[in-house]
Amino acid sequence: MAVDDRGPGTVRTGSRGHSVHPDRGERIAGLVGAARQGSEEALGQIVTELTPMLWQVARAAGLSAGDAEDVVQTVWMRLIAHLDDIHTSAALTGWLVVTARREAWRVRAEGRKHFPADTESFEALPAREPGSEEQVIIDDQRRTLWRAISQLTGRCQELLRIIAFVPRPDYAAVAAELGMPIGSIGPTRGRCLAKLRTLLAATLEGDDVLG
Amino acid sequence: MSSDDAGRPSADEPLDDTDVRLLDGIRDMFGVADPMPADLPERIRFRLALRDLEIEVARLADEQEVLAGIRGAEQSRTITFDSDSLTIMIRIDANRDETVRVDGWLAPPQRREIDMKTTAESLSVSSDGQGRFAFARVPRGMAQLVVRPAEQGPDGAGRSVVTPALIL
Repeated sequence: MAVDDRGPGTVRTGSRGHSVHPDRGERIAGLVGAARQGSEEALGQIVTELTPMLWQVARAAGLSAGDAEDVVQTVWMRLIAHLDDIHTSAALTGWLVVTARREAWRVRAEGRKHFPADTESFEALPAREPGSEEQVIIDDQRRTLWRAISQLTGRCQELLRIIAFVPRPDYAAVAAELGMPIGSIGPTRGRCLAKLRTLLAATLEGDDVLG
Repeated sequence: MSSDDAGRPSADEPLDDTDVRLLDGIRDMFGVADPMPADLPERIRFRLALRDLEIEVARLADEQEVLAGIRGAEQSRTITFDSDSLTIMIRIDANRDETVRVDGWLAPPQRREIDMKTTAESLSVSSDGQGRFAFARVPRGMAQLVVRPAEQGPDGAGRSVVTPALIL
């Protein structure tokens, strides 16, 4: 465990500086505008950009792969009718997540091919390849993280899984849609992330994941 | 470690770098454990591009290769596509030249206009009252079937049905 130079007093006061892809929100907003004007290419780029997120939303709701595909496709078809009301990346992401989640619940309630999320196993991860040391470390961290997340409530698991795939600038908007409280200065950690950090901090391996 | 050494991380604090790194780790983990089918965005883009055509997209339901009986050596493929309103079965046989013959059946049986779109040309035929249709010579390569409403008559209503592209 490394002690870094940020002391306990260094509480960050905003979401600035967290953006690995600072332009992503702006770029998506531009694509939304172009799609509204009828650009198929822009619409296609939005689909490519955000379908991985919708896949995780549908799967986190416990749908089979086939049902998840149907839900994702339904959500995109439905977006076409709503494009005129959506002007920002955050509005788009929020609408997509909420609509996908609602549709996933509806499909699940129909009782078709219901596979609970907890039957998924991280054993499905590809076996460690005799590659670089770095790869091994990353895989160990994934497993540690998986074990910690598995101890959270189903609601927290779903929420963190969804938020993790949301474009960073849209965290706050989507978190609010999902019932994660927003502080006056931006998205707060929330109890799910706080609990995850407590769990990770309790073990040596988890401390490595926290960095 | 970061500020948490002082105690349990509070739910009310703003997201910090450790939280963001954890979320990145979660994304990476689910991306590996439960990846989206790689071609899903492409299939959705294809479907969206066709949306104004009032169409249904048929799915590949079955495909079989059988040895054609008489000449023995020649292979025949039968492919079945399903959509909400229609089942399309086709049988593909090699012609003596570099083309193929496609015989098809629609279920339920109905008169429709049927286009075979290939990279080279678009061929059109009509199905008969039993839902049968045939393209005598279709160039090999990529092809896509579009089953359009009959231009007249009681079967004139309804949406077009398109199949995924197939290789003849």
